[in-house]
Amino acid sequence: MTAALALGELPALPLHTAGKYVAGAYVVLFAIVLIYVAIMAIRLSRIERELGELLELSGEQPPEARKPDPLQRESTPA
Amino acid sequence: MQPSSRRPAGSPDIDHRPRGGVDRASRPPLYGKGLRALSISTVAAMALALGLVFFYAPLEAEQGFLQKIFYVHVPLAIVALCGFVLGGLLAIQHLRTRDPRWDMRSYVTIHMSLIFALGALITGSIWAKGSWGHWWVWSEPTLVSFLIVFLLYATYQPLRFAIEDPERQARYASVFAITAAAFVPMNFIAVRLSTAYLHPRVLGSTSNLPASMAFTFLVSLLAMALLFATLCKYELTAKHTRAQVRALRRRLIGEAPSTRGAGRRSAAPTLHHATTMSARSAGTPGL
Repeated sequence: MTAALALGELPALPLHTAGKYVAGAYVVLFAIVLIYVAIMAIRLSRIERELGELLELSGEQPPEARKPDPLQRESTPA
Repeated sequence: MQPSSRRPAGSPDIDHRPRGGVDRASRPPLYGKGLRALSISTVAAMALALGLVFFYAPLEAEQGFLQKIFYVHVPLAIVALCGFVLGGLLAIQHLRTRDPRWDMRSYVTIHMSLIFALGALITGSIWAKGSWGHWWVWSEPTLVSFLIVFLLYATYQPLRFAIEDPERQARYASVFAITAAAFVPMNFIAVRLSTAYLHPRVLGSTSNLPASMAFTFLVSLLAMALLFATLCKYELTAKHTRAQVRALRRRLIGEAPSTRGAGRRSAAPTLHHATTMSARSAGTPGL
């Protein structure tokens, strides 16, 4: 109980000391969000790849295969 | 010259009309509906909350600048605990209807709550170190009880993974989610009844805060709740899209197992049944 009281009565930390703790806490929050976004990006690319495979299976060409090549068009003689 | 159509040049002209006689009304529900508005609201609320925390809320007399952790730690903990309870409520709905989509919602909610609870534990430890000089105080009932809740829910995923049959997995997981959700408020009350504590009381005592601090806290709580809802919706949309892609694969190549991920045991609920169900009965709202 005395230890708890002693802990509770610690004086406020100065700004230069408290700043790193506050920064650490907010960095944790943003790290969680960033990690989640990275995981979602990996999942999205996987779904995109699977959809490309399915398009191939269904007989359609995947989008990138059907894009007109501008260099090829330019080099074609008129 | 820009083409008259809004479709960008070179974009695929895929026919989006459903094949096989599936009309618009019988399409599965779109989990991604409203996701953009929700995401924008979340970003706006988070920006507002951060602005209020660092430029509006006054410094606390005892802890000074360190008290700013309060605006991230407490909302994380509250949203995580509410998420656990919500997961239990969604599990009740699953047991009532036997619709696997409710199991999916319960799973995603608990999964996200676990991540938020981990965030609350880490930020709490940082705050404790700055405030009390220790990363963790074992004699403090609030800290230990929150850790117990966290560890309880940490067994949720292994429990699911241990059961191979998807239907049984969903049923057992729902029973677990309901039991554990009932444990959360009981635990909360038990901690409240304890007399010796060091951790400050927050719920029910916001009236003791100055108006500017209380307002900042409420905005932070709202922002955190919006972040939780957005991430849950993203997760549900991703899982639903993946289930639809798998269903499409099965339709195209028959019931033959695919090269990736087939027959692999997973803790996540399978939505194959849900996809076929939703194709038959439309109109079920998303999360």
